[in-house]
Amino acid sequence: MAKEMIAMLLAGGQGSRLYALTQELAKPAVPFGGKYRIIDFPLSNCVNSGIDTVGILTQYQPLVLNEYIGNGQPWDLDRLYGGVHVLPPYQKASGSDWYKGTANAIYQNISFIERYDPEYVIILSGDQICKQDYSDFLKFHKEKNAEFSVAVMEVPWEEAPRFGLMVADETDRITEFQEKPKQPKSNLASMGIYIFNWDILKKYLEEDEADPNSENDFGNNIIPNLLRDNRRMYAYRFNGYWKDVGTIASLWEANMEILDPEHSGINLFDEDWKIYSRNSGMNGHKINTGAVVENSMLTDGCRIKGTVKHSILFAGVHVEEGAVIEDAVVMGGSTIKSGAVVKHCIVAENVTIGENAIVGAMPTETENGVATIGSGITIGDNAKIGPNAMIMRNVEGGEEKC
Amino acid sequence: MLNSNTNALGVIFPNSYDALVPELVNVRLMASIPFASRYRLIDFILSSMAHCDINKISVMVNNNYHSLMDHLDSGREWDLVRKNGGLHIFPPFAEKTSAKPYIGRVGALASLLDFLRDQKEKYVVITDTNLVVNFDFKAMIQAHIDSGADVTVAYNEQEIPESLMKNLSNDKGFYYNFDIKDGRVTKIYVNSRDAGVKNFSMNIFVVERELLIDLINTASVRGQEYFERDVLLPQLGKLNVQAYKYDGYMARIWDTKSYFDENMRLLDDYNLDALFSGAPIYTKIRDDNPTRYIEGAKVQNVMAADGCVIEGEVENSVLFRGVKIAKGARVKNSILMQGSVVEAGADIEYLVMDKNVTITAGKEMKGTNTFPVYIGKFQTV
Repeated sequence: MAKEMIAMLLAGGQGSRLYALTQELAKPAVPFGGKYRIIDFPLSNCVNSGIDTVGILTQYQPLVLNEYIGNGQPWDLDRLYGGVHVLPPYQKASGSDWYKGTANAIYQNISFIERYDPEYVIILSGDQICKQDYSDFLKFHKEKNAEFSVAVMEVPWEEAPRFGLMVADETDRITEFQEKPKQPKSNLASMGIYIFNWDILKKYLEEDEADPNSENDFGNNIIPNLLRDNRRMYAYRFNGYWKDVGTIASLWEANMEILDPEHSGINLFDEDWKIYSRNSGMNGHKINTGAVVENSMLTDGCRIKGTVKHSILFAGVHVEEGAVIEDAVVMGGSTIKSGAVVKHCIVAENVTIGENAIVGAMPTETENGVATIGSGITIGDNAKIGPNAMIMRNVEGGEEKC
Repeated sequence: MLNSNTNALGVIFPNSYDALVPELVNVRLMASIPFASRYRLIDFILSSMAHCDINKISVMVNNNYHSLMDHLDSGREWDLVRKNGGLHIFPPFAEKTSAKPYIGRVGALASLLDFLRDQKEKYVVITDTNLVVNFDFKAMIQAHIDSGADVTVAYNEQEIPESLMKNLSNDKGFYYNFDIKDGRVTKIYVNSRDAGVKNFSMNIFVVERELLIDLINTASVRGQEYFERDVLLPQLGKLNVQAYKYDGYMARIWDTKSYFDENMRLLDDYNLDALFSGAPIYTKIRDDNPTRYIEGAKVQNVMAADGCVIEGEVENSVLFRGVKIAKGARVKNSILMQGSVVEAGADIEYLVMDKNVTITAGKEMKGTNTFPVYIGKFQTV
């Protein structure tokens, strides 16, 4: 039985620009938005769009990601035929390879895709926060009788040079692709989400693999080759919320934007487009007498005795008396001890911030760094962590880090 | 099999004591009454059983059980989807010979006899669901084995609540307390009106499966209905019925007021930790987003689940999933079940709002500490 479209989700990236957060964690497994991990967004989009078969390409630090995905049940992707499958690189009869590039990762799993005999394959990226109906995208792809379509966002012209840009004619047909050009001819940035006709994708993957000089990358190799051959390529304009959370600053910002869904952030309160995640199983959160909670998001297991302003707290965060949290993202299981001040920063999972310690600082005109504390770290009592600090080792009491 | 396997079946009676909370069970049964911001009462017993490796569980529903079936579904959230065992819901069925479904435990268990005969587990654990407790069934089964009892029954020492004495007449149901000598139950009192601290039955039983089959077989042939009153009580001389004292954290629901009080009691961190610091309590997953506190919200001493949007003032309250409290609204000493809405400027105190109740803008509504006002599901005030 053939599937109309299956999804291949690229989740092998290290996310090296997230430093302390991705020391032992693949980027798609990075927590986001109070109770999610980044990968919940593309997975939920898939199931909400009617895609029931997803291959997840993993490579870097896959342990947490593998355990999190499990059998796919939280996303309703535990299926008899299809469902979610984690696809790490594997040994073959003749040699074995790590995934050399995004295209090679798919190439090595051609046999997985062929089990489902799909007409279309959608390539997704595991490092974006976005709610998107892929079935609308597929509809566009079919209407254009395209062989390849790419989802694009209009970006401000001055920012265009940071992106891979699609130059398209009035019918949305792509005529040129510019990777981070100095002189942009378009402001349509590629979101890294592609729909291919499977026969075309397979052909170009095999060609690409045969080319010893190729980097085996979609952006650098496959798309230019499709253009060279004058394939029917179209740009699909997406105008919902989309955010690449590849850096500490953008991850922090995307979290903060959730607190303002009416204007800037992603709306997580959408009953028709739920984002699914694996549940913490903790009891409801508790705000004590004397605590202050303003303009924030809390989830199960949080225990608040101090002050929380304009912050996102994940499951099981404890904020003791007199502690102050502002403009911060505090991930699951972390404890902020009494009198500690935590501002404008990201605190990863299972961190302990000691009594009266100071972490981060509100931005000033000259300084707007987002201090970051890696997972499992203990910050000693009275320690001081500067706004640009990236903490990957325990900090002793009274010590200063900047 | 490993030694850690408990070798016991679970049998749960979700309709027990429905008559005590008529409002709360109007659209449901005791087991599916929402509790502690994100749970249903049955979650506590079911999670406790699952943690004690009792993973072949029969839920003997009698009536009003749609909400419970929706909640339990396949039992996956409690890790009770198993090839061998798992969760089974047994609805009543009328025998060829009688058109009525069973009334008491004996009739229910009689309908389960064929199932019980086919099992291999040595013990059966029997419970109701009006208890909120993180219970160690393994310890109780061990005590049963160590004492050589025929039947072991759990109890705690407490006063029998006045309203229970007042409300529970023999036509509505029974509660039991015991005289105990050297651990053995020597006398069972049924619906005793005698005040003071008693050995108050929790109606949790451990009994060998083979013996249970014999007892139920005999009792059902005689047309008896109630396990404690008709089976145990007359045979106390013959059967070794041992009492198992429980002194951990427990909430018993015996009327709407106790339901209100026991929710409120969890606003004390000491109690919250006592109930939840053990094995986790599982429940149905709703995939709500985290709860959002908007600028201007004022919250003091509140327990809340996910999916709420709070813009107004809330104090001493328990909020279930998806509750919305608008700007300028005041909520105090209240329990707001799933999907309740308090519109702008409304002012409420001492309310128990069932699911999807709306208090419209500017309305004022107040119960009292001794008499919290209950508002039925889907009502708009």
